[in-house]
Amino acid sequence: MTVGPLTVTDLVVEFVHDGYAIRPLDGLSFQAQAGELIVLLGPSGCGKTTLLSCLGGILTPTSGSIRMGDVDVTKMKGKQLDAYRRDDIGFVFQAFNLIPSLTARENIAVPLTLTGHGRKESFARADELLEQVGLADRGGHLPSKLSGGQMQRVAVARGLGHNPPLLLADEPTANLDHIQAEAIIRLLRGLSDDGRMIIVSTHDSRLVPIADRIVHMVPPDQHEERPTHDVSFAAGESIFEQGDNAQLIYVIESGEVDVIRILADGGEEQLNRLGPDQYFGELGPFLGFPRSASVRARGDVVLTAYSPRVFREKVLHKH
Amino acid sequence: MILLTFRDLIYRKTRFIVVTLLGAVVFALLFVMTGLVNQFNLEPAEAAEQFGADQWVLPVGVSAPFTSVSVMAIAELDAVDAATKSPVVITRSSVAQGDGGTPEEVVLVGFEPGGLGAPQVIEGRAPQAAGEVALDRSLDVSVGTAITVAGEPFTVVGSTEKMTVLAGIPLAYLVLPEAQVLAFTSTDVISSVLVSGELGPLPEGLVSLSSDAVVAQTLQPLEGAIASIDLVRALLWIVAAIIVGAVVYLSALDRQRDFAVLKAVGASNGSLLGSLALQAMLIALGAVALAAIIQVFLAPQFPLPVTVPAEAFWQLPLLAVVMALAAGAIGMRKVLRSDPSQAFSGAA
Repeated sequence: MTVGPLTVTDLVVEFVHDGYAIRPLDGLSFQAQAGELIVLLGPSGCGKTTLLSCLGGILTPTSGSIRMGDVDVTKMKGKQLDAYRRDDIGFVFQAFNLIPSLTARENIAVPLTLTGHGRKESFARADELLEQVGLADRGGHLPSKLSGGQMQRVAVARGLGHNPPLLLADEPTANLDHIQAEAIIRLLRGLSDDGRMIIVSTHDSRLVPIADRIVHMVPPDQHEERPTHDVSFAAGESIFEQGDNAQLIYVIESGEVDVIRILADGGEEQLNRLGPDQYFGELGPFLGFPRSASVRARGDVVLTAYSPRVFREKVLHKH
Repeated sequence: MILLTFRDLIYRKTRFIVVTLLGAVVFALLFVMTGLVNQFNLEPAEAAEQFGADQWVLPVGVSAPFTSVSVMAIAELDAVDAATKSPVVITRSSVAQGDGGTPEEVVLVGFEPGGLGAPQVIEGRAPQAAGEVALDRSLDVSVGTAITVAGEPFTVVGSTEKMTVLAGIPLAYLVLPEAQVLAFTSTDVISSVLVSGELGPLPEGLVSLSSDAVVAQTLQPLEGAIASIDLVRALLWIVAAIIVGAVVYLSALDRQRDFAVLKAVGASNGSLLGSLALQAMLIALGAVALAAIIQVFLAPQFPLPVTVPAEAFWQLPLLAVVMALAAGAIGMRKVLRSDPSQAFSGAA
């Protein structure tokens, strides 16, 4: 089993939703080596699952590249991409996504038979993997008869069915209590010991200590406290753009600003016009989302910029 | 693929059992309708065959012996140039059991014992003298029973089989002179001359019809009924297609996440389509198999005779499989369209 190194360069994914362009990934770059456990850390909606979909060859990015060793995954098409997904990638999904009509053993074996492996060989492999994830005695149970942790272990075993060099796990501890989550974390850590690269998306900081590498999906400095300060903008100047990382909240001291949404076709839609004593840009920093609109100075404007904590204490309570 | 299909059938067994039962009722009706049409087509051919004639000589203007009144002088028998020929009387009449029995419509046939047109009895014997009658067994009158034919007393001496025409009207056989008197009140008149072998030129005023032409003409009054049954059969196929198509579509909807997951792990569209197609075929075949049993009990309840042709037992399943695949196409399209990235979406 050999893989990597994995090199992700300037990865951009853009969707059009209700006429607006949304960029869950905007210029993401990182590197990883074979045998590493990589944690993609960030809040919901920051593009972790989108990145996993791109790495798994399920989603084609808008631009940028994903190189696995000498192979550019983003250039693959059709059967080459099918073969990459079938042979090189193992998936572990957040909602387990076990097939409810199949037993634990069959959930592992059936995907193998559907991808051309012999029936006997597939079931032997399923037994081996159930043993590995500690569920040898639960192979004949339907998913409805398994606990969340057991289902996730079956899902991990299914992901390992064809012994892929890269295992992608989407929020593998999201639906589990701390005991079950610990078992999954230990299992994932052990799987990377034999040279397999494991990429785990999570907002669960319990996975951070076991990671060889952490990819922050939202820049970590976003959460650093920045001092309150005044800023001035001339007429037409951009205060921030839609899709930017959100760090500060602004209160208008003088002048007016236009809140504008950029449409997928490049056009603009004015959402609001704000004046003195009004504030804007609060949701992004509070929720960890990118800016959902652009804001431009209508004339000369003076603003006070606050960190989310100071804004909550000094401004929000006053309003 | 087979395991995936069977496991899903078991997992959703209530739905599939209900649908199979519904489908079975529809297919059983299809069997019966097919049997009815088959019986309509079979009946005149079987009756004509038992008459044993190659040609039927009739007066000009008479379309066929069973569908119109045919009258010719017995003297014309001599003008018919054939080695084997027999006069017959064919007319509509009624029979009743005992004095107060309900009259039942029959086609009365007068024949010459030992000649063409004599009944092939399966029980008892053919009539040989006045006061004797042989009836088709569909009338359910046993040999030895006293009955009335056109109000006159007769004794049943024999039973025939498959001697009905015009959708189940049974034939009643009398010796020729008695039939002549009942039909025409004269022994100088007959309805037709049956001919076997070569037939010479006919005198003016007479025509001949082949046995096949007689069969075709006898079927003519039933064409409307056959067309109506065919229409009902077409509607039943549509109902069956809707039932199978709906369950395959629902199954595809329920399993969309499963298909997305299997696609994400590398399963081809072909193998997933195969699973759904196999499910559709199994439902259709299960329903047809059950229908083949149901029709055995359903057919006797019909007032008309039902003869399901042997070929229906392989044609119907074959058509059902083709129909199931066509009806399941919408569901299968769902499989083709299922996006593997759906496997990543949140809790199911």
